[in-house]
Amino acid sequence: MPGFSRKKKIFLFLMIGVVTLILTYGVLHVLSQENQKVDFNTQIRPILNKKCITCHGGVKRSSEFSLLFRTDALSPNESGKRAIVPGDPKASEMIRRIRHHDPEERMPPEGDPLPKEEIELLTRWIEQGASWEDHWAYVKPEPVAVPDISSTWGHNSIDPFVLQKLEENDLQPSPQADKATLLRRVSLDLTGLPPTREDLQNFLNDDSPQAYEKVVDRLLASPHYGERWAAMWMDLARYADSKGYEKDDQRSIWQYRDWLIKAFNEDKPFDQFTMEQLAGDLLPNPTDDQVLATAFHRNTMNNDEGGTDDEEFRVAAIIDRVNTTWSVWQGTTMACVQCHSHPYDPIRHEDYYKSLAFFNNTADEDVPSESPVLKTFTAEADKQKLEQMKNWVIQQTASADEKLEKAQDFVNLVRITEPKIHPHSFDQIEKGSLADNKYLFVEPGGYARLPDIPLQGEDHLFVSYSAGRSTGRVEIRMDSLSGKRLGVWQVQQKDNFEIAVIPIQPQSGRHDLFLIFKDPGQKGAVCHIEWMLLHETLPGKNQPGYADIERKFYSLLNTNEAITTPVMIEKEPAYQRKTHVFERGNWMVSGEEVQPGIPQAWNDLPEGAPLNRLGMAQWLVSKDNPLTARVTVNRFWAQLFGTGIVETIEDFGTQGAKPSHPELLDWLAQQFMYEHRWSTKKLLKQMVMSATYQQSSKTTPSLLEIDPDNRWLARGPRIRLDAEQVRDQALAVSGLLSDKMYGPSVMPPQPAGIWQVVYSGLEWKTSEGEDQNRRALYTYWRRTSPYPSMIAFDSPSREFCVTQRINTNTPLQALVTLNDTVYIAAAQALAQRMLQEHPNQVEAQIKAGYQMAMVQEIADEKLADLQLLYTEALAHFNKNPEAVKALTGQQDKQLAALTVVANAIMNLDEFVTKA
Amino acid sequence: MRQGYRSDYQREEHVILMNIFQELQYKNIQYETRRHFLKKCSSGLGAIALGSLLGCDPFSTTKASNNIVTEAGPMAPRFPHFAAKAKRIIYLHMAGSPSQLELFDYKPELVKLDGKDCPASLLEGKRFAFIEGVPKMLGPQATFKPYGESGIMLSNRLPHFSTVVDDVAIIKTMHTDQFNHAPAQLLVQTGSPRLGRPSMGSWVTYGLGSENDNLPGFMVLVSGGNTPDAGKSAWGSGFLPTIYQGVQCRSEGDPVLYVSDPEGINRDLRRKTLDAINKINEKEYHAMGDPEIMTRISQYEMAFRMQTSVPDVMDISKEPEYIHQLYGTAPGQASFANNCLLARRLVERGVRFVQLFDWGWDSHGTDKSTALEDGFHEKCRQIDQPMSALIKDLKQRGLLEETLIVWGGEFGRTPMQENRNGKEMPFKGRDHHTEAFSVWMAGGGVKPGTSYGETDEIGYYGVKDRVHIHDLQATILHLLGMDHEKLTYHFQGRDFRLTDVEGKVVKGVLA
Repeated sequence: MPGFSRKKKIFLFLMIGVVTLILTYGVLHVLSQENQKVDFNTQIRPILNKKCITCHGGVKRSSEFSLLFRTDALSPNESGKRAIVPGDPKASEMIRRIRHHDPEERMPPEGDPLPKEEIELLTRWIEQGASWEDHWAYVKPEPVAVPDISSTWGHNSIDPFVLQKLEENDLQPSPQADKATLLRRVSLDLTGLPPTREDLQNFLNDDSPQAYEKVVDRLLASPHYGERWAAMWMDLARYADSKGYEKDDQRSIWQYRDWLIKAFNEDKPFDQFTMEQLAGDLLPNPTDDQVLATAFHRNTMNNDEGGTDDEEFRVAAIIDRVNTTWSVWQGTTMACVQCHSHPYDPIRHEDYYKSLAFFNNTADEDVPSESPVLKTFTAEADKQKLEQMKNWVIQQTASADEKLEKAQDFVNLVRITEPKIHPHSFDQIEKGSLADNKYLFVEPGGYARLPDIPLQGEDHLFVSYSAGRSTGRVEIRMDSLSGKRLGVWQVQQKDNFEIAVIPIQPQSGRHDLFLIFKDPGQKGAVCHIEWMLLHETLPGKNQPGYADIERKFYSLLNTNEAITTPVMIEKEPAYQRKTHVFERGNWMVSGEEVQPGIPQAWNDLPEGAPLNRLGMAQWLVSKDNPLTARVTVNRFWAQLFGTGIVETIEDFGTQGAKPSHPELLDWLAQQFMYEHRWSTKKLLKQMVMSATYQQSSKTTPSLLEIDPDNRWLARGPRIRLDAEQVRDQALAVSGLLSDKMYGPSVMPPQPAGIWQVVYSGLEWKTSEGEDQNRRALYTYWRRTSPYPSMIAFDSPSREFCVTQRINTNTPLQALVTLNDTVYIAAAQALAQRMLQEHPNQVEAQIKAGYQMAMVQEIADEKLADLQLLYTEALAHFNKNPEAVKALTGQQDKQLAALTVVANAIMNLDEFVTKA
Repeated sequence: MRQGYRSDYQREEHVILMNIFQELQYKNIQYETRRHFLKKCSSGLGAIALGSLLGCDPFSTTKASNNIVTEAGPMAPRFPHFAAKAKRIIYLHMAGSPSQLELFDYKPELVKLDGKDCPASLLEGKRFAFIEGVPKMLGPQATFKPYGESGIMLSNRLPHFSTVVDDVAIIKTMHTDQFNHAPAQLLVQTGSPRLGRPSMGSWVTYGLGSENDNLPGFMVLVSGGNTPDAGKSAWGSGFLPTIYQGVQCRSEGDPVLYVSDPEGINRDLRRKTLDAINKINEKEYHAMGDPEIMTRISQYEMAFRMQTSVPDVMDISKEPEYIHQLYGTAPGQASFANNCLLARRLVERGVRFVQLFDWGWDSHGTDKSTALEDGFHEKCRQIDQPMSALIKDLKQRGLLEETLIVWGGEFGRTPMQENRNGKEMPFKGRDHHTEAFSVWMAGGGVKPGTSYGETDEIGYYGVKDRVHIHDLQATILHLLGMDHEKLTYHFQGRDFRLTDVEGKVVKGVLA
């Protein structure tokens, strides 16, 4: 090569070599790519979801083309062309359109054309047969091997999963947190309460390798464990002590909260826990507790406002039950599907109503009494009467097979009183109406008709009514106004609703019933009817003692000395409802009828499962269900670590976040089902025993830069306490916290004038004695006006299921812990403890105060800040002696100054944070 | 930021602390993850409006530090979607729903029909809250005449308002889906009749942030003796972070809950307490490196400033006499008039959304207080002067141009007289009515002197330019510079917005 220097020659050769290499690599690369199978979930679905599905999904099906299901995607669209022809990209309209040079023709219609690589991927995918794969979350978790990583770091099998990801991201785990920090963290996590100084001393003194495990076991066995986790579950259950909507009247449902605490404390396996809450009433011979558990879904709102349509709000409650169930157990956002097919996930519109059909046959109907409620008699005499009645029925029932069943039937009649027929079921009312749309009243000469009532030989009519006078009577006739007279009742004056029992002639078949109201010469309603019920009366009518037992039976029906809790009761077969699709989600427009069923993408109902709520619950906890275990372990994980392995704990669908540690998630799900046999305590123990959990939560700027949200877990969690814990901790460290468990909700002090709601006689009556200082989960929860300091710390108002609280950091929170009388009282009590322990030594007092609060030693430089504050506070109180009494109610300047210091300690970031 | 401080707090230590504080705050801005807010930024206004401007990549959910400017905090002021005149809004909600037929919608034909049976055609297929059977028509219980240059017809119940009619746009064809108070109020305030959605004020502060460091961005004032039927949900934040919920100013006790120092602790000692807390928190920050600690320090500082600024703004006693005469205010009362003056004081200080509720407009005629010929007069008297004064006062301060005022109830009232339980009522009243009612708007971006939409001869139904609640909401957001279809928040698997899936901006009322 003349003219080229040696250097240049070498350069040229090199260049040729490089170009050749590149070309060769390119060819090989393309060849290897062509042979490579395209993966639908990782390569194709993201393109479809990002670029196509908004218009070609479950809501919009532009040109009748939808990419939600393979069958839809492959069928001819509006133009008759097939967008995707498996194996033949050239015949596929989709490929033609995404490649099109004309922007008018090209897809997607707006923005830039798809990048070359994406077009190439889609083409190859079709060439290879356009195979479809389910989204990962709909495929049940398979056994996963724990990564084999050679490292000394780690305590249990969670850690290799985490370490693997750390190494992939060039990160290292943090050292273990110091003992005091760890003790506070795990105590707050497992029981919602801080440790005591004695707990710390015991832990510090225990040098055995099992020291930490002993602490964990102690905490898991503590009764406070159940309170902490019940509080979490109460957000999911949308637990409240009021009914919601405008009136937002009182609701008695605290027995459900107590059930939750006990269920967590006895570590009820999660499958059982699930079945009892969703369908406890349908279990064979359910216990009281199993029926009370169903109050989970009676936490839906109930509208008592006059003029509202009961059916509208009954349906709203059912819809909420569907959405909540799917959200809590399946991490699936079913709410979209009420109105149309799911925009992204493989759930069709009718699937929503198939789900709804499981829930649509409970007896509750949005009536003010919230019936059905389970009555638990409180008077000893009533308990005896119930027992006597039960024994009577057993004695008087001839057939041995039926004795117990019949006895239970009467116990249920007294305690649950179903199937009720409510006034909204009357379809003809002459000379009368429904007061407030709730209660039937008819004037003399009028009548009301109940259509199509199943009569099955019942010989008595039970009526709950009130009346202003005793002169009227009501005839019950069948089929027409002049039809067969089944019975008649003389109205008695009653100021409040009472249940009367009227003999009727037994009939069979379905008939219209007419109630004819007579009271000649009188004006105004003959009576007001709350509900009616058909039932047989007690057996043994001619036996000695019958009159006495009948009287007891009636008195039990009418006693108010009982705790009542709304529960789920399935309607009797003759009364069951049909379920229809609501067109566009509108309850007034019924579409085709549907039967209970599960969306196609999921596992089938387990064999032999009944087509009712129990069947659905069994399906949820079947080991074939792909989501229940994953969603649940993820929820508990998020409680400890601040973020779930799937960050969107409410959405495991295709639009939800991908798991940060997919193998760990599946491994934990498998452990939860097979190894721990659904034991929540074992699951939590496994998590807190990991080295991952026990890391120090210190962070550095570089770590923050790489992983601001700590998704790779190179450090321990550092999270603000939740609303309940903020309160409980303040009361606990000041020594004020009452350890009383269970019972009706309490009303701790709140500022005056918070409850100002229209049309309601309810008032906030501050509880007395230790009830002022109960744990936060016992606080009376009124939906339209929740306890203000809890709301400030992000607790939801509980109208609907909230799966994840949003953690905010606001000035209103500062005002609560600085100024709320509850927190001032706690500061003063803490100051008192400081003073008692070290009567004369300011430094020792402050050290002790910090230690009581934080359960660790105070650093010297922090001590200096608090000492300065003490000096300043004392100077203030010396100068303003009247302020001493104003703050503390006493004349002790030292106490006042220490109260200021305690108030400061209880406002430190480290105090309101789990670190 | 420091203007709230009195000089006696400027102690040396404090100054040093504040220098460190400022430096750390800068760091904090860099790192303040506000994780959830950030992630929602991908679906919220942050991404759509500011994505290109400020580098908030809608698909990035991790790198916090890419979002330095947008992530200045959830309440930092933000640009709207497009330039708009209105920067702030005062919403005057008349809870219970005043009768449009006695105020704004002049129906001479109804005078002739007074006392006649309502034609069956109006009743078919309709649901009413209380009307039963065949009610009688009820003529307007007021007289009307045209006012101002615009010649808009107004009733004699609003003598003061007639002097500002050329500044307002009245929409006469509002309609709604809900005929009970609570769900209808929720529909107006949250876009949905059911509890649980964020209120308009929450949406607006979420979209635009706050302009004032010393006061909450969304404040609520209630008069008429009761909170509205929908309760505190009418200003709740729903699924938005609670930082966006309305803060209720109370007329008794603390003006904002917990804003007063405990008895025996004065401002000076409180300042010293905060200094100690902040110094220790800084040490904790140095040890732990968690930027959330720095956020807490700044929130404690804002709390401290609020403790001064809230009582200060709520104290109307120092307003000059002519202002009190203009509004008809008397310091110390819980009245709509006082709340109107407070609303001006709040927007003057940059509060983004001021929500007033005035209770007592449910004119059923069941007793004197709800009678159109009695209690209704008194309610009109209570609002006429102050709401007119609010317009005048904002105007004279040059604030009307950038402040949007909206006035209205949650539904309208029937042209028929209410006959609860099918009986004649002791007083004249009207039932709830969904098909037609009036709302007025004034100020930033609103076309003044406008009457928009027409109802039929008896004011039963809008026949021209009907405006649904969602249209009103879309218009309000538009006037504030936001596209109601783009102001979204991702929750339970989908993007939610104030206007649900409906809403069209009412162009006819835009200037």
